[in-house]
Amino acid sequence: MDISVKIGKLTLKNPVTVASGTAGYGEELSAYIDISRLGAVFTKGLSIKPREGNRGNRIIETPSGVLNSIGLENVGLDEFLKFKLPFLLKSGATVIPNIAGHSEEENEELCDVLSHTAGIDAVELNVSCPNVKQGGMAFGTDITIFTRLLEKARKKTGGCLIVKLSPNVTDITEFAAAAELCGADAVSAVNTFLGMKIDIKTRRPHFENKVAGLSGPAIKPLAVRAVYQIYEKVNIPVIGIGGISGTEDALEFIMAGASAVSIGTMNMVDPKISVDIIDGIREYMDSKKIGGLAEIKGIAHIRSGE
Amino acid sequence: MKPVLVEKPIEIARDHYLLRITGLPEPSAGQFVNIKIGKGTDPLLRRPFSVFNYSEGTTEIVIKIAGKGTSLLKVSEPGEIDAIGPLGMGFSVLKTGSALLAGGGVGNAPLYYLAKKLKESGTGVKFVYGARSSEYIYLLEEFKKVSDDLTVTTDDGSSGKKGLAAEEALAAGGADIIYTCGPAGMMRAISDGSSAPVEASMENYFGCGIGICSGCTIRTVGGLKRACVDGPVMEGKKIIWEELCR
Repeated sequence: MDISVKIGKLTLKNPVTVASGTAGYGEELSAYIDISRLGAVFTKGLSIKPREGNRGNRIIETPSGVLNSIGLENVGLDEFLKFKLPFLLKSGATVIPNIAGHSEEENEELCDVLSHTAGIDAVELNVSCPNVKQGGMAFGTDITIFTRLLEKARKKTGGCLIVKLSPNVTDITEFAAAAELCGADAVSAVNTFLGMKIDIKTRRPHFENKVAGLSGPAIKPLAVRAVYQIYEKVNIPVIGIGGISGTEDALEFIMAGASAVSIGTMNMVDPKISVDIIDGIREYMDSKKIGGLAEIKGIAHIRSGE
Repeated sequence: MKPVLVEKPIEIARDHYLLRITGLPEPSAGQFVNIKIGKGTDPLLRRPFSVFNYSEGTTEIVIKIAGKGTSLLKVSEPGEIDAIGPLGMGFSVLKTGSALLAGGGVGNAPLYYLAKKLKESGTGVKFVYGARSSEYIYLLEEFKKVSDDLTVTTDDGSSGKKGLAAEEALAAGGADIIYTCGPAGMMRAISDGSSAPVEASMENYFGCGIGICSGCTIRTVGGLKRACVDGPVMEGKKIIWEELCR
């Protein structure tokens, strides 16, 4: 049975990846799983200089979800290249760095350096973090700024360019279509939804940045909808993300049109979940006599009788 | 071997329950176990609980009822429990001299196992057991057994001395090290006021408990540290407490 997935020129050994921001740089997860088994590890959003992230409260549980306001804390490019990447490559992992620069120039430079680094065949451009004031989500919610950034990033990126879309727009398919036009090899859908928590004791927003990103099973139907709509609009692969908590959820995304999926928040709850889902997909395909993922990818779009 | 809750949680004081779990490796003092409550997605995140005691394969934790998760956990039936651990960096166990242990509320729990380990190494243990009032004091006789000297303080004077555990601990002084676990304000007062080194076990909100989310970050003089993997026990004098006590 072949469960490998093509994303541009890159082949993932299977469709199950771990999402940026929920897998660190692979070190912690590797205490629980063999990270070389994963389709890919999307590492924590990188900037050129290390970033401390947001102050105050950073995370809180919500019904079947999590609100976070980490603010892209990361080790910076130099430390990533010097220490984090060698660990990941030594572990046999397929690494896809997530790029989260503040400015167009910073994103261009990161795309350039990372995509031309040995061992990196793809980068994911994060245009959708809701937790940083400059840049971040503005890149992902204004179609003009989005397109300009992508044109520049595409020119600098040697390998596969994946764009992580913000769901905090009226029509996410416009952004997916613009990404395809700019030459992106795939889109990841979706990043977190903007949310908020008010502390009724202090009568103030719980987070210093006021708004925060909602993830986890609570957003799964919203994310499935986004993937389904994007699949109808573009021909490049979609990586489905949003509250996947088991094999059935992953299959739902694939049937909606996702070529691959990312496990995010649920890594925090069950660090072994991603490899369990790889096994689960194999078992499902085996039991239904499905020879390849292409047989079920986007199958929900086919009307009966067709 | 899968972790098993050997019996229903036992009420040991108002809002405090003792859970006994088998199938977890032996912890060091100050480590925690991370428990998923129920099989569903609400509550979603694991809850971290410091180890209260470990003996002959059984790990004991004390939980304080704080919300939805702990309210469900306290009515757990015996049987398999989804617990990961022990996790995190615990206390350094002083091998000689004398130690002062100051706990507040549920924060007394990890200090019990520490006191036991200190006693085993021949280190003197002076314990200040802080609680809101007498009804919240749990397993005091057990704490006395592992202490050379134990003082109870309560906020309302309903048991022991009326006052704060931090003040009592600082007034006692003379120890080679102070170990503390409790509310941030208490641990801050001890860290600021003590001339001896202080080790504080952090009780802030954890996301994953395994170091991947950076949600529990503590600001220290050495930069940001994740309470779950760099702690929960940290050097009290290196923590920038203003950030935690706002």
